[in-house]
Amino acid sequence: MNTAEALATPLRGKRILVAKPGLDGHDIGAKIVALRLRNAGAEVIYTGLRKSPAQIARIAVDEGVDAVGLSILSGSHRDLVAQVAECLRAEDAADITLFVGGTIPAEDHAFLDSLGVRGIFTSDMPLDRVVAELAAALASADAA
Amino acid sequence: MSEPLNRRGLGRRLSALADASVADVLALTAELPVGDVPRIGLTGAPGVGKSSLAGRLALHRAASRRIGMLAIDPTSPLSGGAILGDRIRLDELAGDHDIYLRSIASRSATDGLADNLPELLAAMDAAGFDEVLLETVGVGQAEHAVRSQVDTLALVLMPGSGDTVQAMKAGIMELADLYVINKCDLPGAAQLGAEIKRIQALARAADGWQPPVVQTSIHDAQTIAELSAAIDRHQCWLAQAGRRTQGRRDRARYRLRLLLERRVAELIDSLDEDVLSQPLATQFTALAETLASAPAGPRSR
Repeated sequence: MNTAEALATPLRGKRILVAKPGLDGHDIGAKIVALRLRNAGAEVIYTGLRKSPAQIARIAVDEGVDAVGLSILSGSHRDLVAQVAECLRAEDAADITLFVGGTIPAEDHAFLDSLGVRGIFTSDMPLDRVVAELAAALASADAA
Repeated sequence: MSEPLNRRGLGRRLSALADASVADVLALTAELPVGDVPRIGLTGAPGVGKSSLAGRLALHRAASRRIGMLAIDPTSPLSGGAILGDRIRLDELAGDHDIYLRSIASRSATDGLADNLPELLAAMDAAGFDEVLLETVGVGQAEHAVRSQVDTLALVLMPGSGDTVQAMKAGIMELADLYVINKCDLPGAAQLGAEIKRIQALARAADGWQPPVVQTSIHDAQTIAELSAAIDRHQCWLAQAGRRTQGRRDRARYRLRLLLERRVAELIDSLDEDVLSQPLATQFTALAETLASAPAGPRSR
C-alpha cells in the first residue's frame, strides 16, 4: 500500500467495534482511535465503558462486525483478551479479527498473538500506522 | 416464545444487506418478502433524547415480547465512515438484556433513514421478532420517509427547543401518530403539550385517529409505561380492518423509489465531464439512455 492510499479511506465498508472491557475508566484513547477509524472510512460502533467480555462478544455478533478492538489500560489485558477470544469462539464468531490497544508491555505480545490477536497498538504508535496495519489485517482476513 | 434467535446469522445477513448494490437487492428480493411484524418508529431532532428513550421503551416492551431494534446514525460525507453510538444508552441500562439492537449507518441516504433500509427491515421481519423498533437519524426536518416504513410513528420533542415550529415547517406534525414530550421534568413541558394539542386539532383527524401527547422522562418509569400503552392503543386502532393497506402501498412505493434514486445517483456521479457541459436536456437524455441499457448496474459479489 502506498502513502496516498494509507491516508485515504482504506477501511471503507468495514464495521469495527471499539470496546472497553474491565474496570478502567479512561476512554479518551478509545474515542480518538474510533474517530481516526471513522475518518479512514470505517463504521465504528463504540460500546462505552466497563463492558464484560461476554457483552462485548454479544455486541460484536449482533452488529455483524469485521473486527473488534479492545482498549485496555488497566494491566489486565492478558485475562480480558483471553476471555473475549473465548466468548467470541462460543458465539461462533472466532473469525472476527481481534485487535488490542493501550498499555501493553512488549513481553506480553507473544501471549496475545497466541490468542489470535491480529494487531497490538500501543499508545505511542502513530494513528496512521494503526489504520494501515488494521487495513492490512482485514484484507488478509477477507482473502482467507 | 418461538425458536431461539440466530444472532450470528442475522448479524451477518444484515451486514451483507447493508453492503448490497442495487442489482444485489433486486436479486435478493425473492428471499425477502415483506413481513407483517409491527413496526414502531421514533423520530425527532438531535438531542431530544431519542436513544435513551428508545432504550427504556425497548426494555419495557421486551418484558412481554421479543424486540428487535434498528438505530440509524449519520454517515460522514467526507470519509464514508460513521460513529455508531446509539447502543451505549441501551447497553448501560441492562447488561444481559435480550434485545437485539443493530446500529445502522445512513450511508448515501439523506432522508433520516439508510440505504437498503426496507431490505434490512424485511430481514428483521423474517428473523422472528414480535416487534421491531426503528430510531431515525436526528435531522429534524427530513423524516417523511420514516412514515412509510413503520406502523406507529412517534415524534419526540422536548421543551424549550422551538421544536413545534420546526415540526410544523417540516410537515411532520401531520404525520406522527403520537407526540412525545421528552425531558418533561424541564420547564415548559406542559405549555408545549398544550401547544401541540391546539395545532394538531387543526391538522389531523381526517382518518379518525387523534394523536395523543405523552409526557416522558427517562427518570420516571411510569411515563415510559404510559408511552408504551399509547403505542398499544394505536396498534389496536390500526388492527381494525383495512387500516394497514394504504400504509403497505406507501411502503412498496418508497422501496422502489429508494432503489431507483440510488441507481440514478450512481449514474450521475459517473457521467463523463463532457456530458455535463452539454445542454441540460441532452444530459437528461444521456442519463436516461444509460439507465435503460443497464437498469440495475453491477452485482457486487
